[in-house]
Amino acid sequence: MKNIIVGQYIPGNSFLYKMDPRSKIIALGLLMISAFLFEDISHIVYMLVGVLLILKIGGIPIMRIARGLRPIMILLLFTFSFQVVFIKTGDVIFDTELTLSSVNLILMILIILTWYFTRRYIKSRFLYLIIVIVGILTMLSLFSPGFKISSSDFVIYEDGLLGASFIMVRLIIIVTLSTILTLTTRPTDLNLGLERILKPLKLVRINSEEIALIISIALRYIPTLLDEANKIMLAQASRGVDFSEGKLKDKVMQIISLLVPMFIISFKRSDDLANAMEARSFIPGNPRTRIHILTWHYRDTLVMIFCVVVLASTIFVRVYL
Amino acid sequence: MNTIEIKDLSFSYSEDITALKNINLVIKKGEWISILGHNGSGKSTLAKLIIGLLKADKGDIYVDEVLLTEDTVHEIRRKIGIVFQNPDNQFVGVTVEDDIAFGMENLNFEREDMINKIVEYAKKVDMFEYISKEPHALSGGQKQRVAIAGILAMNTDIIIFDEATSMLDPKGRESIIGYIKELNKEGKTIISITHEMKEAVNSDRIIILKDGEVLAIGETNTILNDKEVLNSSNLELLLPLKLMYKLDEANIKNEKVKDILWQLSLNK
Repeated sequence: MKNIIVGQYIPGNSFLYKMDPRSKIIALGLLMISAFLFEDISHIVYMLVGVLLILKIGGIPIMRIARGLRPIMILLLFTFSFQVVFIKTGDVIFDTELTLSSVNLILMILIILTWYFTRRYIKSRFLYLIIVIVGILTMLSLFSPGFKISSSDFVIYEDGLLGASFIMVRLIIIVTLSTILTLTTRPTDLNLGLERILKPLKLVRINSEEIALIISIALRYIPTLLDEANKIMLAQASRGVDFSEGKLKDKVMQIISLLVPMFIISFKRSDDLANAMEARSFIPGNPRTRIHILTWHYRDTLVMIFCVVVLASTIFVRVYL
Repeated sequence: MNTIEIKDLSFSYSEDITALKNINLVIKKGEWISILGHNGSGKSTLAKLIIGLLKADKGDIYVDEVLLTEDTVHEIRRKIGIVFQNPDNQFVGVTVEDDIAFGMENLNFEREDMINKIVEYAKKVDMFEYISKEPHALSGGQKQRVAIAGILAMNTDIIIFDEATSMLDPKGRESIIGYIKELNKEGKTIISITHEMKEAVNSDRIIILKDGEVLAIGETNTILNDKEVLNSSNLELLLPLKLMYKLDEANIKNEKVKDILWQLSLNK
C-alpha cells in the first residue's frame, strides 16, 4: 500500500508548470498517438530522446520518473521476454543449448528455494528475481553434469530483440509522458482541464462537470481509503492474518477479508458524502460557478503547434517512408 | 420570531423501526438549542429531516415560515448549514480552498466574492495557513473547522452541528465548541446534536430525546436540575451533577458546595 503514489504533483516553476492543463492533456494525447504510430526502432528512440529533453528542460528529476515506472516493471519484463522468445525471424544473435541434468535440476531447486526463503530480506526484490533467473539460465547453458534429463535450444533473433526493445521504449515513453502530466499539474487543475476538454460531450447529453466532479472526489478519497485499508490490514494482522505470506488460496481469502469491509466502508462513506453535498446545495446537473479558472497563454499555442507537427511528421513517416 | 417550527413530526426507516414519533418543537431565531439523546434516540434523523435529506412520514417542518416540501427544499437548504459527525465524509474538495468554495460554487457566487469569503472564513476558523493543503494532511479538528468555514461562507442563518465533536480529541472538541459559542454570539441559530451533556450545558435550551420521543424540553438550568428526567434519559451525567445528586440523597445541605458543583456543571 505504501508504494502507491497518489497525487504525485511536485511543486515547481518550469514552463511545464506554467502551461494550461488543457494544452498539457491534449499534448499528451497527441504525443501518445505519435508513439503508437511509429514503426521503426530508430524513430521511437528519437522520441525517447525528445521526451528526456522535455524532462531536462522541465526540471523533472529522472529518478522520479523511474519511480513511476517501478509498478510496471513486471509488465515490461514479461513483454520483453515474450517478444524475445517468440519472434523467430531475422539474424541469430545468440544461440545456446539449455541442458537440464540430474545435478543442475537439484541445484535449480535449491536456488529457487533459497530465493523463496531469502527474498523477504532483500531490499530490491525485482533485481534479485532477475539475477536468479539469469543465474539459472547461465547454469543450464554452461554447467550440466550428471545424466541428461532434457535439452532445448535457446535462440535470440535480431527481430525479437528489436521488437522487444521497441515495445519497451514505447511503454516507457507513454508512462513518462503521463507521469510528466501528473507531476506538473495540480489535481484541481487537471480536473478542471479535463472538464473543459470534455465539455463538447454536452451535445450527446454527457455532463463533463459531473464527470470531473466524480474524478475529483475519487482522487480526494484515494488516500482516505488507502488509510482505511491499512487500518483493516492492521486489524486483521492483529488477529493472525499474514498478508505477505501464504498459498494462493490463502491470499485470495486474505484479499476477501480486506475487500468486504472496504466495500461496506466505501458505501457508508459515499452515502454520507452524498448527504453532505446535498446539504451544501449541490444539485446534479445545475450550473455552478467555479473558483478556479484556466488561462490559455501563447506558450500553450506553441506547444500545441509543436505536438501537431510531431503527429503530422509521424503520419508522413508512416505513410510515405 | 420562530426560525424553525416542527409539528407532529414522525418518521420510520421501516415498518419495524420508528425513528421519531410526534415531535413538536419551536426553535427561535438566534437561539442555541441542544438535542440530547442516547444512540438510536433519533437525534441525527431529526437533523436530516430538518434539512430535507429525509422525508417525513407525517407532520410539517417550517423554516422561516416556509413549509419544507420538495419544491422548497433547495430554498430552505440555503438557510441551514450542517456540520456532520465524520470530518472525512463531508470534505468534498481536493484542498481546503476547494472545500470552502464548494457550497458557494453550488449557490453560484461570483468568483471575486468567493475568493474574498474563502480568505475571510479560513482566517476566522484559523485555517488560512492550510488553505492549499489536502484533507489527508489535516487533523479531524482541522477538517471540522474547514466544514464550518464552508458553511459560514454560504452565509446560512441556522447551523446544525450533528455530533460534530464526537470523533475529535479533547483539544479539537474544545476548539469547535469555542466556534459554536462565537457563532451564536454573532446571532446564528445553533442546533447542536450530541450525547455529551457537557456540550449541552452551554446552550439556551435542551431537548432530550428517548426512543424517538421528546422526553423533556426546557431551559438548560431547568433540565440539568431535573434529576428524574436525567436519570431516565440513559445519558451519562456530568460528574459535578452526580455529586450534587449524591449530596441530596445523603441529605447533606451545604449550599456553598452545591453552588460550586452547579457552576462546575455549567463549565463556569
